[in-house]
Amino acid sequence: MDAVSVIRRAEPTPTPWRFRLNDTQWRILVQALMQDPLPFIGMWCDGQDVHAVFLETGSPLAITLALEGGRFLALSPARDVASLYERIICDLYGAEVLWAVDDRPLLDHNVWQASMPMGRCFQFGEEQKGLLRFQVSDDFSQSFSYRRNDVLEGWGPATGSMDSPFHVSAVLRNGHILRAESQIGYAHRGLALRWRHSSMKEACRLSARVCAGVSMAHQVAFCMAVEKACGVEVTWEVSLLRVALLELERVVHHLYKLASLARLVGAGLVANRCMSLREDILEAQVSVTGSRFLMDVCFPGTVILRKTDYIGELCHKLYRYVDEQIISLATIWRDYPGLGTRLTVLGAIPREAVMALGVEGPVARASGKEDDHRRIMPSYAELWRYTGIQRQGTGEDRAFLLFDEITESVRMLGKLANPLSTVSVVEERVCHVEKGEEGIAMVEGPWGPVFYWVWLSQGYISHVFQRGPEYALQCLFERVLHGHTMEDLPLLACSLGVNTAALDS
Amino acid sequence: MLYAVLDHVFYKKRQSVKPVNHYPIWFFHMDTGGCGGCGMELQALSCMPYDLHQEGFGFVTTPRAADILLVTGPVTWAMLPALKAALEAIPDDVRDPFGEQVQTEDVPKSTFKGVITIGECAINGGIFSENYAVMGGLEGKVAISIAIRGCPPTPLNILNGLRALFEE
Repeated sequence: MDAVSVIRRAEPTPTPWRFRLNDTQWRILVQALMQDPLPFIGMWCDGQDVHAVFLETGSPLAITLALEGGRFLALSPARDVASLYERIICDLYGAEVLWAVDDRPLLDHNVWQASMPMGRCFQFGEEQKGLLRFQVSDDFSQSFSYRRNDVLEGWGPATGSMDSPFHVSAVLRNGHILRAESQIGYAHRGLALRWRHSSMKEACRLSARVCAGVSMAHQVAFCMAVEKACGVEVTWEVSLLRVALLELERVVHHLYKLASLARLVGAGLVANRCMSLREDILEAQVSVTGSRFLMDVCFPGTVILRKTDYIGELCHKLYRYVDEQIISLATIWRDYPGLGTRLTVLGAIPREAVMALGVEGPVARASGKEDDHRRIMPSYAELWRYTGIQRQGTGEDRAFLLFDEITESVRMLGKLANPLSTVSVVEERVCHVEKGEEGIAMVEGPWGPVFYWVWLSQGYISHVFQRGPEYALQCLFERVLHGHTMEDLPLLACSLGVNTAALDS
Repeated sequence: MLYAVLDHVFYKKRQSVKPVNHYPIWFFHMDTGGCGGCGMELQALSCMPYDLHQEGFGFVTTPRAADILLVTGPVTWAMLPALKAALEAIPDDVRDPFGEQVQTEDVPKSTFKGVITIGECAINGGIFSENYAVMGGLEGKVAISIAIRGCPPTPLNILNGLRALFEE
């Protein structure tokens, strides 16, 4: 029996896309998932139940299991990336995950003020322990051999870089990484607890600050999930405004990413050109939107900008300017001595690895996986044309894919210029929910789909689960490090878009 | 490519700025668990069109080579030990470009070893106030040399804040 059949045979819930499984059905599902490639989105816990979401031909399919006795059967034997979610549930709720492939703490470094802070067995933490050693897995310890002069090296969390903090422990043999494991949780801010019982305004502000650089994608996904829970339909103006802002964010994000790559390779000139173009865009954008990172512009039912009536003009201006600049930038990138050579040998990811972990976004597309959520987003109808696909999955492929995506986004902005030129001030709409309702939404952010599952109760937020492409990328990053040197580590992390700030669900 | 090199070298804004009359102040940046926005603005500051180096500042990759610690993010409990270690690793004495040791008594300590907080989070936690995982900013916990507000502050705001180091 396939996994979808197992799920659909379970007890239906008032929400048509969610089914409640019992222990036996859950166990059968785990076995079915071993053979079934049903795409896995993520899993979370609300203290009473464990929830998991899958994607059935583009539509969400969710399952719920009561957390009886504080334990549940792991999904990680069937889906590798589920391991991260299980470890988070374990850290936050103290749940026991049976048959989990990895049961080490992930977020809790034994320095929190409380252990199991969201569980029923909430306990205040003991005195601060100081800088702790990273607890590596048993497999990692076994790979280390004194006889072969292996070296154990660490990197992070404080490296002086501008990126979010994480730690990597690696076994080096002849200067190359034999095995590496990463430790996250340094940027864990307890977002799930902050969202709980927050007002709509507070929740919107939080969604804008999950991860800078993809702020708009998080806001739009959050607002769409709330709108679905409330049964609110937005006007076409709001829908188009959101698309324009999402594409604007994509252009700015990709330019920042390209600049970071070039800087880490040592191509300062290329990095400066990318950042210079990014600043030109931001300068034009901030006068209209009011925020460089597009924070606090999207709310349930509406989009609020400083000068909404100028957005059409902005799209037209950027289309003309960036379309011209990006060609010369791509030429400089291609001609710059050593830049392409350095990236060509960096982190070649085969399509099989991408499929196995469920990696999404530009990283997946650079490895030949045709995957772009924009094709099924109604607001992109008649706008989205194609997303470039590369085949080899090297750092160079990923970089050129970003150039392709910038060109495509700018084309869409050009197409949006006319319809948006008639948009004036958008009225704010208030979403009210009297009883508990739930809604989910997925938006294609700059680095892959951003998913939100929001539960509302009496006008307040009850629970929020958010998940971006960063979970699968964190797993991929650990695997791809094999064979690289420690000097490659920051470059590879940048090329794959490792961002631990987003791993806070 | 040639045009790109010439643009880079003869960038008009760069020509208008005179070289600074002091040796650079080196920063060690630590993201202590924020959304990453302040770090991105710092990155923007170190590139064109702002050019932090021309202003007499630079970034280093180890606190042992730094004069000042730049902190972004609300300071999570997990990052606190690393933050303490970095602060202790910043040397008390400084050397001038010719290698002569400068005694710390001759130099205002707040100028050469200190903490600069960037963004609301690093000051008081901002939107990420104190909870089980977050300590909630450095205000009132350590001596802050300069606090640059904003969520996140723009590169120009950060630069103006950093220039205050030379005004003492």
